[in-house]
Amino acid sequence: MHSVRRVRQSPAAIQEKKERERSKIAEYLALTNDLISRKKNKDWSRDAFDATQRLLEKNPEFYTIWNYRRNILLNGIFPSSTPEQINNILADELMLTAMALKEHPKVYWLWNHRRWCLQNIPDGPIVDSTSSMQWRNDNWNKELAVVEKMLNADPRNFMAWNYRRYVLASMPTQRPELAELAYTTRKISSSFSNFSAWHQRSKVYTSLWRSGQLDPVKSRDEELELIHNAIYTDPEDQSAWIYHRWLMGSGDDESQLLRELAVIEELLSEQPDSKWCMDSLVYYNKLLLKKHRPHSTELREKCLALLQQLEDIDPPRRYRYRESGDSAAPHPVVQ
Amino acid sequence: MAQNLKLLVPLHVSYIQNLGKSQDELAYHLTAHLRMNAIYWGLTALYIMGHQGALDREEMIEFVMSCWDEEAGGFGAHPDHDAHILSTLSAIQILIMQDALDRLDVDRVVKFILSLQQPSGVFSGDSFGEVDTRFLYCAVNALSLLGRLSELDVERTVSYIRECRNYDGGFGATIGAESHAAQVFVCVAALAILDRLDVVDQQTLCWWLSERQLPNGGLNGRPEKLEDVCYSFWVLSALSILNKMTWIDSEKLVSFILSAQDPESGGIADRPGDMADVFHTQFGVAGLSLLGYPGLVDLDPVYCMPASIIEARGLRKGWKSLPRKSL
Repeated sequence: MHSVRRVRQSPAAIQEKKERERSKIAEYLALTNDLISRKKNKDWSRDAFDATQRLLEKNPEFYTIWNYRRNILLNGIFPSSTPEQINNILADELMLTAMALKEHPKVYWLWNHRRWCLQNIPDGPIVDSTSSMQWRNDNWNKELAVVEKMLNADPRNFMAWNYRRYVLASMPTQRPELAELAYTTRKISSSFSNFSAWHQRSKVYTSLWRSGQLDPVKSRDEELELIHNAIYTDPEDQSAWIYHRWLMGSGDDESQLLRELAVIEELLSEQPDSKWCMDSLVYYNKLLLKKHRPHSTELREKCLALLQQLEDIDPPRRYRYRESGDSAAPHPVVQ
Repeated sequence: MAQNLKLLVPLHVSYIQNLGKSQDELAYHLTAHLRMNAIYWGLTALYIMGHQGALDREEMIEFVMSCWDEEAGGFGAHPDHDAHILSTLSAIQILIMQDALDRLDVDRVVKFILSLQQPSGVFSGDSFGEVDTRFLYCAVNALSLLGRLSELDVERTVSYIRECRNYDGGFGATIGAESHAAQVFVCVAALAILDRLDVVDQQTLCWWLSERQLPNGGLNGRPEKLEDVCYSFWVLSALSILNKMTWIDSEKLVSFILSAQDPESGGIADRPGDMADVFHTQFGVAGLSLLGYPGLVDLDPVYCMPASIIEARGLRKGWKSLPRKSL
């Protein structure tokens, strides 16, 4: 159970609750037993289909009943339905699970059922003796809107983000990736703390650079501005700092590394106790040492001094800082 | 805050014993789809607290066998529920802890598990189900416990995990998914079983894992999220497998876990003041074992089972937990 507060109840109140639940339990078990025996008898009727809905409304996590419901559709209902009827049935399924998701946004089985429905949507009505893609397009487009609503309600719901990536990859008519970049911009602008959106952004950029739609050098400069904005807004929020490391990559561009070090130094002078400033300075100075200035004692000493400070201000991770110092200090870097 | 708290072993033992006796509560019936997992969590927690005999052995084995899905060749979570890889792994783990693996049709279960591997290398949970690195771990764990890892396409399996690795060192549920501590556990543990920890960017991952600890001592599962007792296990198991247990403050974490106990009815909750459940009880106790809490039995973080049982099967990997403190 997540985030359900503990409430002390008197023995009388507990007894009362049990009394109230008695008829509910009887009803639930009767429905369960009926459906399990229908399932064993391979009852693929409409009547059984309706009964699965009654049970799933009470318990959307009963995966066996979702499986049974899909088997009724596949074996009993679809074979005697026209493509248009199948499209309508699956649209109803999507509506039913959308309602359930509002109340149960983290139930895997609901997301799974939607996936299956979308995979089984017929293409579309026949127009001029060829099949159009209208039904498939309509439903997949609607799906993106559903995920967006879920992410408005909880911008960090990782199931919704995973599902969003699945929808974007599976839509019959692909959306331009620049639209997804704009979506992550909106999400990040409303909260710099939304690491899920930063993560998505790293994936979208990687793809846009690979396909040549954007120039990595130009995007990087724009991104750095966004990151600076975020770290100046809240220097102790991890999200932008982690993304920064991705953007800087292996640190091959020395001048960029130096520019970023200067920006962080400046922020540290305003926020002298900022752990993330110090940790990032160590990280980028070490990159500088490794890639560009293997013999700089000055850089090495700077790292060690910062690590000493980090040990003092962030004692839970002191052993990490100590080990990091060991690797920065004693032995000369081999070229 | 919780400096003087102790693990309330007798209370947690009776909490777990009573779970099976609450048929007069609606919640008991609404969670039937988790029953097999719940028994695995309860039994493992009891084992780690040194009370593995607190639940009736014969009754438990009979229950497990009554969940066998003859059509699929795997276990459901409850009698008459469909086979799923989650409940199948739990069933195997319970049978092994109860030394009753002779009851199992190993060939059929192995066939069921292998049938779930997809061309990409990942596993689905059942014949309908979605794919997830959780299911991949269940498959690798189960095949290893059954001594049948040689039948797995290891290269394909490892290649999927590698594809799920993110720049922060962590792993997600599928390719492209955000790093999440629970998915980090399943991927790192699967790689440990397959002797392929070279796939992990250990320095970066351990940095990310150590940043999961919050000022109150608890661990979260992703950046800028709330702490939760279950991450004590997801994060710690990975740190232990990668031998970086010292990178977080163990004393503060012990206090946090202990403060999430229900001091009246027993059990451990996701965080202080919340309702306890068997899932968080197990992962809280598992975390405490790895942290060297006095009086507990060693837990193997790779298989999430008692270490002695894994050692007896010759499956011990090179993980390190904190030394057991004396009482």
